[in-house]
Amino acid sequence: MALLLQYTLIYASVLLLVALGGCFSEHSGVINLGLEGIMVMGALGGALVMKGMADLPALLLIVAVVFGSVLFGVVYSLLLAVAAIHLKADQTLVGTAMNLLGTAAATVFVKALNMAEDASNVSSSIQYIEQKKAFSLLKIGNFELSWFMVLAVVLLVISHVVLYHTKFGLRLMACGEHPQAADSVGINVYKMRYAGVLISGMLGGIGGIVYITAGVSEWKFENGVAGFGFLALAVMIFGQWKPGLIAMAAVLFGLFRALSNVYSGFDALAALPIPSTLYNMFPYMISLLVLAVFSGNSRAPKAEGIPYDKGKR
Amino acid sequence: MGEFAIEMLHITKRFAGIVANDDITLQLKKGEIHALLGENGAGKSTLMSVLFGLYQPEEGKIYKDGKEVEIRNPNDANDLGIGMVHQHFKLVECFSVLDNIILGMETTKGGLLKKDDARKKVMELSERYHLQVEPDALIEDITVGMQQRTEILKMLYRDNEILIFDEPTAVLAVQEIAELMQIMKGLAAEGKSILFISHKLNEIMEVADRCTILRKGKYVGTVDIKDTTPEKLSAMMVGRDVSFTVDKKPARPGRVVLDVNHMSVASNRHKKDAVHDVSFQVKSGEIVCVAGIDGNGQTELIYGLSGLEPLSNGTISLNGQDVTRESIRQRSILGTSHIPEDRHKHGLVLDYSLENNIVLERYFEPEFTDRFGLLKRKEIREYAQRLIEEYDVRSGQGAVSVTRSMSGGNQQKAIIAREIDKNPDFLIAVQPTRGVDVGAIEFIHKQLIAQRDAGKAVLLVSLELDEVMDVPDRILVMYEGELVGEFKPDEITVEELGLYMTGAKRREQA
Amino acid sequence: MRRENEKKSFEQLLNREGVQSLIASFICIVLGLLAGYIVLLCINPAGAGRAIVSILKNFMYFPRPAVALEYFGSTLAKTAPLLMCTLSILFAYKVGLFNIGASGQYAVGAGLSLYLALAFQMPWFVCLAAAMVGGGILGGVAGALKAYLNVNEVIAGIMLNWISLYSVNMLLTKVKESSTTYTGALRTNSPGALLPSMGLAGLFSGNKYVTIAIPLSVLIAVWVFVVMEKTKLGYELKATGLNKNAAKYAGMKEKRNMILTMVISGCLSGLGAAFLYLSGIEQWSCAQTAVPAMGFNGIAAAFLGMLHPIGGIFSAYFIQHITSGGSYIDKMVYCSQISDLISAIIIYFCSFVLFFKVCMKRQLSKKKGGQ
Repeated sequence: MALLLQYTLIYASVLLLVALGGCFSEHSGVINLGLEGIMVMGALGGALVMKGMADLPALLLIVAVVFGSVLFGVVYSLLLAVAAIHLKADQTLVGTAMNLLGTAAATVFVKALNMAEDASNVSSSIQYIEQKKAFSLLKIGNFELSWFMVLAVVLLVISHVVLYHTKFGLRLMACGEHPQAADSVGINVYKMRYAGVLISGMLGGIGGIVYITAGVSEWKFENGVAGFGFLALAVMIFGQWKPGLIAMAAVLFGLFRALSNVYSGFDALAALPIPSTLYNMFPYMISLLVLAVFSGNSRAPKAEGIPYDKGKR
Repeated sequence: MGEFAIEMLHITKRFAGIVANDDITLQLKKGEIHALLGENGAGKSTLMSVLFGLYQPEEGKIYKDGKEVEIRNPNDANDLGIGMVHQHFKLVECFSVLDNIILGMETTKGGLLKKDDARKKVMELSERYHLQVEPDALIEDITVGMQQRTEILKMLYRDNEILIFDEPTAVLAVQEIAELMQIMKGLAAEGKSILFISHKLNEIMEVADRCTILRKGKYVGTVDIKDTTPEKLSAMMVGRDVSFTVDKKPARPGRVVLDVNHMSVASNRHKKDAVHDVSFQVKSGEIVCVAGIDGNGQTELIYGLSGLEPLSNGTISLNGQDVTRESIRQRSILGTSHIPEDRHKHGLVLDYSLENNIVLERYFEPEFTDRFGLLKRKEIREYAQRLIEEYDVRSGQGAVSVTRSMSGGNQQKAIIAREIDKNPDFLIAVQPTRGVDVGAIEFIHKQLIAQRDAGKAVLLVSLELDEVMDVPDRILVMYEGELVGEFKPDEITVEELGLYMTGAKRREQA
Repeated sequence: MRRENEKKSFEQLLNREGVQSLIASFICIVLGLLAGYIVLLCINPAGAGRAIVSILKNFMYFPRPAVALEYFGSTLAKTAPLLMCTLSILFAYKVGLFNIGASGQYAVGAGLSLYLALAFQMPWFVCLAAAMVGGGILGGVAGALKAYLNVNEVIAGIMLNWISLYSVNMLLTKVKESSTTYTGALRTNSPGALLPSMGLAGLFSGNKYVTIAIPLSVLIAVWVFVVMEKTKLGYELKATGLNKNAAKYAGMKEKRNMILTMVISGCLSGLGAAFLYLSGIEQWSCAQTAVPAMGFNGIAAAFLGMLHPIGGIFSAYFIQHITSGGSYIDKMVYCSQISDLISAIIIYFCSFVLFFKVCMKRQLSKKKGGQ
């Protein structure tokens, strides 16, 4: 049971972080379908820090890992920002390209790194058995509270405050709803959209590192993040683009994802004649269902996905 | 200090291929209401965009209080105290009134928004200028009138001295217009200088001190309102004397073509019906006009008639045949043509060629598709070319021009050609003259009357009072989804019509 | 005088839409290869040049013509399914839908065709039809979700991809070889399900994977072209994609059109999977944890081919050519995913194609203005 709770919370943290990222981007008016790729890149950044700075004291290591993920995530999200905001490219296509590119680039990079160290090592994995221990805040029996869960909650609160109680948030949302209105009162729509996308890169990047350290102590980058970026988007839609609701949606989705990891630990569940693959499918089926129910009258930002052109009024 | 708040001298602004503003001069005195008059496409909007910093002029200078200034963006304009109420409101729908007013001018404390002072200032302004608003209501929940007051407060909150109103009355009901006129006069009396953009002569005559007229991007002149008449203004605007009346013979109504009984259409926005229990007939050989202020159910009425929305109650019959449950396609085949309100949303596939748009409702007919489902390109081309010639639709490359590249007037002509050439029994024309120039308006009116004389039943929906009084043979007034009166154009005055349109009067249908 | 004429005709050439598209595609390829080369350089400068040449050479790696021809045949055998995915994506895109679910439809096509072949020894045409129907149904689901419930087809597509992958793994586990995770080879277990070669294998040094799938996929590309450009159906579908409100106004059934589009698109992807697996060139791994890449490579090929079915034939071949070529680079220095990287970069640049074209047009009109 403790294990289920732990996995639920850690996956909920991932979904929450990434969905908040999507939320900032969409509130600024850019649909970020490249979150999956951003997660992979963020994970790569964090994993490299763990690999390279394994000797740091625990707290510093956490800070460094988060910093690495943020850096990779933000830089990578620039690919979307430039394409979608300045070059007015098709945001769906750019997002898709970023997802493919993220996995391919990370794989090539990690393989090259591994081969440089040991010519016979052609795997795309990075190990972090020891380093991972630093993320544990406290342990109660089987339940392990991770620093990342705390971080997710803190970022949730900050996101809420930023969106609804600051000048920046007000302006950001104006750009996603009615960029012409924002422009007419002197707000630089391009700048705000860059900010939105880069924040999504930051949160998506952190989400990536939390995801790969959630259950295992090594990550094979060839696998990408298995649609988690898109699950996060479903969480965002279910949460109606509002941080508070997103958090609740994330916990629900986290539970379903956690079930596939730990169901065998429950005698009642293990006894059911349900193949394990079905548990793997669960989160995707639930999200499809949620999308079907909640997409009809969604409160998506009105101007999302539409490139802003200053010349057109 | 001179007497002018703003002077725009010899402004020239070119866009690819056209000169939108050609050597235009506009001088706004302090504390006056100055009207800017011109047809669609005369260059009013461009000139105001230059003043507001949205466009940079190629030539010309702008002076504020006698000092030369450069306005590179809306921020500069705002710093100079220039504010604008745009024709399409620049309001964020899911924000509150207060948030919209402070957007871009937020006050913060410790990084967090602090709205108390702002709220106080807004409420003060609201009282002083009689601009009643609910600060915490969301824009999407309030009336158009209150949205406009929010826009005005936005300018006042920024302490703007020069206020631009871009066609502010187009969206308002008659009483709201009167109210706005009072507000504008009050603002001018307090020393604000107002630029009032309009093409409605009676409003200009009522509220303005002076008027500058533009025509086809050129400066025509500036006149004192007290020395002029509406006729003179309109002659200056159009460049020739225009007859306000449309020549037509008396109607000879025949059999009933359209028969609507107790029709209701549900609203997408409210729980109430958008159209409620409406019954009327349109006969062959007559033009019936549905008049009313925008948003009183005309759109939904037409959606119901054309089949774009299902009816929640009632029946429609066409030539005696019940079509209430027929599809859009079937109604079209049975003789309905529809010139839609929004030509970009419904009327055209903008990225299709002109010829593809011309057969948009007929492509499946044996004339244009063979029995293997292949399009007959040659026949489509020939048909399109015939219509292009007959209706004088102008475009860059003829039948193969991309429709998006055509001017609004020619796009509208293409739609009219398509709908009329279908040879319908029943023609729906919704605001057919919206956004087209005077020449095209005359052409369109003539076409409608020609259709009537050919024995068709024509249903016109219009927001323009001139059109309502001149074109139809019968007027139906619509208010809040119901028909509240039926008149012959010669038995009612514009003023009286206005009372019905605003719900102040109603008359049971005969 | 003559030179001026030549110059003029050259400029006229540049003004043609098709030529501009071709140039833009070419720029994308060059940029993609260049970026790939730079990555190779960073990893190990010594072998970068050779590696990129191997990728581009692909089967020409073999000096003996007969062997090269045989491997050329294999590349073509894999191009056929990729071309189907390409067509699937461009067909949907022309109607304004982004069928990222092509991978899932492809997986379902693979699952159904292999299951029927291995469990019931069905003949090849039945397996083909089943793959098509399966893909079509899955596509239809995404289309219906979009049309009736306004679900973003991209997110729904991704979810369906994973659901299909896991379902197909479950289904095919029933017919897999007991010792491995792979499905049994058709040649030994169900020869009747193999696509006939009709003598085509002989043209490629007896490469038995060369089947009618190859000419069939080209024929289907032509069919897609005819449907899109010449028929009433194509006219209607494109109108729906460009402006669904206008389509509705004109009496078209815009919701039905949307679903129909996704069904056709899904059929194409499903058929693509059957083209691969019924040629016997590969077996399905029931332990695979990644959605088939074919559907995503189809996106690259569709855009690289400028969303034109005939262009798609060439771009699909190119993408498959470099993907196959990736397996010839020196494994001791580089990994084969480098070709994935290149095709991902190409997709990214493809999203700028419009931008390239606009730039080109601007340059040309500037020149004209100057004269």
